[in-house]
Amino acid sequence: MVDSQEFEALWPGGVSAIDVVAPAPRGDLKGKRIGFLWDDMFRGEEIFPMLRKSLSERFDDLDFVNYDAFGPIFGGEEHAVVAALPKRLEQLGVDAVVSGIGC
Amino acid sequence: MRASAAVEKLGVPTASLICDGFVGQATAIMPGLGVETIPIARIVGHVDGQSAEDLRRNIDEVTTPDVIRCLLEPAVSCAIAENFTNDTIVGSGNFDTINQLFLDRQWSDGLAIVPPSRDRVASFLEHTDDDPDRIIGVLQPAGSSATVKNVAINGVMANCRPEYMPVLIAIAEVLCDPAYGVEHSGDTTGGDPLIILSGPVIEGLGFNCAGVALRDGYQANTSVGRFIRLYQRNVAGILPEGADKGTFGHTWRVVLAEHEMAARSIGWATFGEERGFGPSEDLVTIGRFTSGGGIGSIYGNDSQEIVRYLADGLVRHTSWEFIFTVGFARGTYRPLLVISPLVAKTLQIAGMSKDGLRTALYEHARLPAVKLERYIGHWTNLLPGGPSLGQLVADGTAAPHFAENDDPQRLVPIVENPEDILITVSGDPLRSNAYVFASNGMHGFPTSKKIRVRA
Repeated sequence: MVDSQEFEALWPGGVSAIDVVAPAPRGDLKGKRIGFLWDDMFRGEEIFPMLRKSLSERFDDLDFVNYDAFGPIFGGEEHAVVAALPKRLEQLGVDAVVSGIGC
Repeated sequence: MRASAAVEKLGVPTASLICDGFVGQATAIMPGLGVETIPIARIVGHVDGQSAEDLRRNIDEVTTPDVIRCLLEPAVSCAIAENFTNDTIVGSGNFDTINQLFLDRQWSDGLAIVPPSRDRVASFLEHTDDDPDRIIGVLQPAGSSATVKNVAINGVMANCRPEYMPVLIAIAEVLCDPAYGVEHSGDTTGGDPLIILSGPVIEGLGFNCAGVALRDGYQANTSVGRFIRLYQRNVAGILPEGADKGTFGHTWRVVLAEHEMAARSIGWATFGEERGFGPSEDLVTIGRFTSGGGIGSIYGNDSQEIVRYLADGLVRHTSWEFIFTVGFARGTYRPLLVISPLVAKTLQIAGMSKDGLRTALYEHARLPAVKLERYIGHWTNLLPGGPSLGQLVADGTAAPHFAENDDPQRLVPIVENPEDILITVSGDPLRSNAYVFASNGMHGFPTSKKIRVRA
């Protein structure tokens, strides 16, 4: 038996409350300083040195700032570390960031 | 991704290193992070199972070119937003038609929903003094507004009764509280929220607090438990194959209501009173718990032996979660012990207060330091390098008493402080059982909100 009662159903979602901005402009990597941000998980202590080596082999004038200059971006310190990023990135003259590890 | 979004907003380009299995989740959470797109650099497979040589080759051949692309090429937005409001009629038809639509649009959990019609939603809104359009807060990872109206809509869908509305609003208020950490609800370890209800509302709205606690079978407990899952799905955006990366999860947990009469009859503070609320105040407390299990057929009336058995249960159900006691998020582990009224009364007759029970559990719920270290840094890689408790104490991420000496067999507690152990009384008044939940720490930290019943 098919139910004949008719319904009009309201949308159950939530309207976005976030102002969305465009991502940062990209340029070249010549002579740039790259900062590493790590969540202290998933073998970042191996992966970031590998990346540093392989990036340096492709661009001979890159400079790097290691993740320990910023603190862990996940866990109990996440909010404080992320809140401090604007100042730390400026202090350290970072031009681009590699962040991880999402796994 | 949250850090990458913060950096992109500063005008600094990023590359986010994401394992293959997480690309879908990373993409799903982008709209809520406030950046049109956040470029992703692939990490092949999952890192934990790769040899060092395989990892090196994959980083060199796949991840490094991706990082370069992310940092050099203009990022292309892929965000698609639905242009609806909670006044939008998204479909019309009979029960089957509406249910098929809600399944197709992923607005349902797979069971039939009650169609959220204007009339039904209005009947829920009559049970609150709140403005229907009041924005309760913002729910991540979707970055969506939690409103009184979309609480009502999801409450209708879950087969709640209109008079539950004040409870549902309080639940939404917990989810919006940053202390709770709703954005972590899709993490891989699959913890699920448990709503703990306190106050006169338990009896007033017909919540079960006696036999078959934690089991479906009572409309109030079951439908309100279903509500939180639907609300997280539809408003917070925690969807399977999207932001929800739980490897294993549970069906939604029905509401756990305390048997307050039993607690009061033996002079114990209720769970609500221990959370800082008055005896006549109603509240919801929500925490995410990763697993749980029974402590069955507790025998005898020797309080110390009962405590040892309960403490054994607390230890048995905790493993990798020790990262919330030490290291990752120090002192945020909050295991929950649910004891039946009979067990509570047996302890009370033996002269044990609730605080005394908690202190005794803290003293007995211990394991060898070397085993705790295995859980957090050897059998898992959650604390890279496998640090010793001594090292964690030295860097300030463990309390000093975790390294009182360097004997690997010394016994250390499962929590930082006795008060970290949550205790509530519920279940069959005439059975001698208990249940323990392992906590997901700061990723669903137990958070309480008062229920405001309509004046």
